[in-house]
Amino acid sequence: MDIFKVSASALEAQRIRMNTIASNMANAQTTKTGAGGPYVRKDVVFSVMPVTSNPAEKLEGVKVREVVGDNKPPITIYDPGHPDADENGNVSMPDINVIEEMVNMMMALRAYEANVRAFNMSKGMYQKALELGRQ
Amino acid sequence: MDKGSKILERMIHAANIRQKVIASNIANSDTPGYKGKDVKFNNLLGNEMKLAATNPKHIGGGKSAEVSSRSEVEDNLSWEDRNNVELNVEVAKMTENSLLHDTAVTILSSKIRMYKNALRTK
Repeated sequence: MDIFKVSASALEAQRIRMNTIASNMANAQTTKTGAGGPYVRKDVVFSVMPVTSNPAEKLEGVKVREVVGDNKPPITIYDPGHPDADENGNVSMPDINVIEEMVNMMMALRAYEANVRAFNMSKGMYQKALELGRQ
Repeated sequence: MDKGSKILERMIHAANIRQKVIASNIANSDTPGYKGKDVKFNNLLGNEMKLAATNPKHIGGGKSAEVSSRSEVEDNLSWEDRNNVELNVEVAKMTENSLLHDTAVTILSSKIRMYKNALRTK
């Protein structure tokens, strides 16, 4: 039954990715964060997670290894009326491309759906096997 | 029971192994550096189905039967994150594999039903 752990681990990982994308989009205009400075775009990095004690089985789940901050520099716009503007009237804004985030979100969604499908198919196979010999 | 059941049992086992490998591929479709794997089922029918060819016109037997559980790394082109899993291909393989499994289970079920009928006293 370890196969369900594989699919579940992937669902979990894709969900974390989706949360990260949502917070990127929500903070596309955030100029001030707790750490100071504008919001930094986040990205998730996946890595393989073996889910079985039997190495011959080749069951490989996935986990989020880390959530990394993007190293793109913030963009500067001129807006003297902004409360976070410096003495020259420039404001640092996070460099977030909403279209890029949308594409990322769709890919996360497709991957999530594929994993749901894998889960259901594995379940269907086990159920079918349980019907063996029943009349 | 009989040779046919053994083959079906082997088919079901093989489909189970393949399902695990495909599920792992789908789970890791976005993992950097992950290489997709697959299991090859050569000679699934194998010796069990070998027919005695007493006449040259008879159908020849199969080859030796070994369900290899060894996963082979697929040689697709890699994306820039060095991951080579094609999600749509994996889903298609999974559907095919599930049908294969269900077919084997259905046939095995009807075989069992045949035995049950034969054992019925009246």
